[in-house]
Amino acid sequence: MTDPGTLVTLALLLPAATFLLLAIAYPLRRAGRAAGIVSVAGAAVALAAALRAWQLQSAEGFTRIAIEWIPQESGPLATVGVLADADSTLMLVLVALVSFLVQLYSLGYLDTEAPASLGRYYVYQSLFAFSMMGLVLAPGFVQLFICWELVGLCSYLLIGYWYERPAAARAAVKAFWITKAGDVGLLVGIVLLWFRAGTFDFLQLYDLARGGQIPLAGLGLVTFCIYLGAMGKSAQFPLHVWLPDAMEGPTPVSALIHAATMVTAGVYLLKRTNWLFALTPDVLVLVGWIGAFTALFAAVLACVQSDIKRVLAYSTVSQLGYMMAAMGAGFAAAGFLHLLTHGIFKALLFLGAGAVIHAVGSNDIYRMGGLRRHMPQTTVVFLVGTLSLAGIPLFGGFFSKEEILGAVWSGGLAVPFWMLVTAAFLTAFYMFRVVFIAFFGAPAAPAPLAHGGHGGPDAHGGGHLHDAPAVMTGPLWLLAALSVGIGVYFTVHHGEPEFTAPGWLTPLAVAVAVAGIALAWLTYSRRVISADLLATIFAPLRRGALAGFWLDDLFEGVYRLALLGLARLVGWVDRYLVDGVVNVFSAWTLAWGDRLRRMQTGLAQDYVYGLAVGLLLLLIWVQWPR
Amino acid sequence: MPASVSLQGYLVLAAVLFAVGLFGVVTRRNTIGILLGIELMLNAVNINLVAFARFNGDAVGMVFTVFTISITVAEVALGLALVILIFRVRRTAIADHLDLLRG
Amino acid sequence: MSLETIAFGGLAVVLVASALAVVLTKNLFHSVLWLALTLTGTAGIFLTLDAEFLAAVQLLLYAGGVVTIVVFAIVVTERLVGDRITQTSRQIFSGLIIAGAVLVGLLTFILRAPLSRPRPPLGGDLTRAIGDAVLTRFVLSFELLGLFFFAALLGALYFARPDD
Repeated sequence: MTDPGTLVTLALLLPAATFLLLAIAYPLRRAGRAAGIVSVAGAAVALAAALRAWQLQSAEGFTRIAIEWIPQESGPLATVGVLADADSTLMLVLVALVSFLVQLYSLGYLDTEAPASLGRYYVYQSLFAFSMMGLVLAPGFVQLFICWELVGLCSYLLIGYWYERPAAARAAVKAFWITKAGDVGLLVGIVLLWFRAGTFDFLQLYDLARGGQIPLAGLGLVTFCIYLGAMGKSAQFPLHVWLPDAMEGPTPVSALIHAATMVTAGVYLLKRTNWLFALTPDVLVLVGWIGAFTALFAAVLACVQSDIKRVLAYSTVSQLGYMMAAMGAGFAAAGFLHLLTHGIFKALLFLGAGAVIHAVGSNDIYRMGGLRRHMPQTTVVFLVGTLSLAGIPLFGGFFSKEEILGAVWSGGLAVPFWMLVTAAFLTAFYMFRVVFIAFFGAPAAPAPLAHGGHGGPDAHGGGHLHDAPAVMTGPLWLLAALSVGIGVYFTVHHGEPEFTAPGWLTPLAVAVAVAGIALAWLTYSRRVISADLLATIFAPLRRGALAGFWLDDLFEGVYRLALLGLARLVGWVDRYLVDGVVNVFSAWTLAWGDRLRRMQTGLAQDYVYGLAVGLLLLLIWVQWPR
Repeated sequence: MPASVSLQGYLVLAAVLFAVGLFGVVTRRNTIGILLGIELMLNAVNINLVAFARFNGDAVGMVFTVFTISITVAEVALGLALVILIFRVRRTAIADHLDLLRG
Repeated sequence: MSLETIAFGGLAVVLVASALAVVLTKNLFHSVLWLALTLTGTAGIFLTLDAEFLAAVQLLLYAGGVVTIVVFAIVVTERLVGDRITQTSRQIFSGLIIAGAVLVGLLTFILRAPLSRPRPPLGGDLTRAIGDAVLTRFVLSFELLGLFFFAALLGALYFARPDD
């Protein structure tokens, strides 16, 4: 087993096997915990295979195993298989790792679920793991798109895992709709590209692009359409509205799908087709701008949230904006690096938040307080994650964030650069706001409803203010260690950057982060600055932020308008044109029938009349001049 | 005026009689009046047949006329019998009142 | 101007006049009398066409038999002189139109057809020819005619039965 290709195929097929096994073997699925263990075991072996494959894969080469799927005369139309190169094996490791940790964590987190439901959960998890890996390893656009859609399906299934809750069901549908809007763009882009280049395969397209054989006219439209798909999946403005609502799903799901893997599929897509986007720099500029704007926008929204998961969700949107901005600046490697580091520490943050929610019984940070006394382990790991996110040196996110800032500056996008800097300040601010309110400070008044409170079913009744069981804290510590490890590694081994960053960049980044932490400390811990004063100063902004800047309402209004309008139009056409034609025919038939009926008077003389007329007609016909 | 009447002269005469008979059938109110009109029409037909027979030199036309006259006589007899029967039942011989077949 | 032409012209005038009288007289009994005159005129036309036998048959059956039957029927329905009330007010105009149209149609048909040829000379006795044809060529029809009369007789008897 020394061939990366075989190893990644093994990693890919293991979750598929678990999925099929759990889906078909009903008794196993119904057993709940047993299903979970089977799934976790599969994920563990897949992780081992992925790690080995990554180790073996050299930086420059690739291994491709492809099976012809749709045959055609001049080469197959579509292939499925795996394409293992440096990028895909690394991403595979991320997916396999987070997937494994999340599945392990879920054994503890969802311990109060009914066994049959738990089995269903693991079926979905396995399917997701398989789909995401299929996406990562796709050798061409066809498999990518199929797995793209499958991943969206799993997201829907997992967000709506507690489908009896109306909010969850709505959120799942919303996620599906919004990402579907982007997916249409992706499909259009893929087909348009095929029209121009004649193939779906990545390697062939790469050669064509490098050889300059793809016609440039109208290529901007193609790349923009492909970007639309990324926009939907990676929650760029304005298609970001589904991600905060997706927090209705269980927290491990949020950690896996909406932090580390699915939402990063868009960024990964852009990295994979980097050489194509390089041909259309205008679209890249647009990507950069939208990315930077999304980062700032989401950071503003995160400052006013009181639900801990929503803060993290907006934070994810913001960080995705960072990654896209780097892509847009033309330095895809920087964005990809941030994707990896962010995946680690965001998963850590979500899982930590899950432990807190599990203990407290509520998502509301104002119901938490002084948690560090009761949950010391969770506090430590959460702090590690927050420091990584804020971009403090020695922690995971610092180097990758600085790379992105440098990339955007070098790419010449000045205004996006300053947007990203402001977003960095706000990121530090709002994350430490959460830390100070929830983990430090005075405990909140005990919640009068001790049974699940307002946090919903992913908590079981508060009063359990202690650290989570080992099956949950294990992954937490692992992720925290990884985060610190990555931070230290990059501080020690500076890689050769693709660009030269200005000297003042690193101090600026650190200063901004520290300033954000300081502001949060002053406001929420020392209470030197009044939070209410801040709220009053920024009142209109705050009001807008609380309403999500009315984007949801806009979408709903447009959707309703379009749908209702179309429905009314179609209804009108149906009633008056389609039915109308039929009704007119029937009315005419009745009217003419009535009129013709009067011919039958019952009087013989009138019939003689008829005879005479007939005779006349005969005479005319016979004599008609020819 | 030609030396002898041509075939067309007879045919024209028959046509005129036929038209008059048709007018009578359509216009008369009394059932017996209608029957009289039918008589006129049949007469016209007979003139036609005989004229053609004479001008073709073939007696077949006249044989045909014998037949039609016979049948007409029988038809008139039975028609009038019907009129009398209807009169007995409905006390009227006016055709306008006999509209039971009205649609 | 041969005799034949004069005879024809006179007979034609009588025929048309009496036919018009048949359909226009208000009094039904008078109509019947006018019909008798018409039928007699027709017999005269037959004579100008050298069909003596048919003229005789016409006079016997039509002018004699049919008229008698009609008179009996009128008497039975007791409307002898009571039909002075608007006898023919029924849609005269449309009747005129349709009759006129049929007449025009027929006339155009007749006058356009290539029929002008003189009458051929008489080839033998027509009465004898009729008799021969009836009893040889049309004997089946002749016998069926007898059957037909029988049926008509039965029908008449059935109509005339008393109401039981």
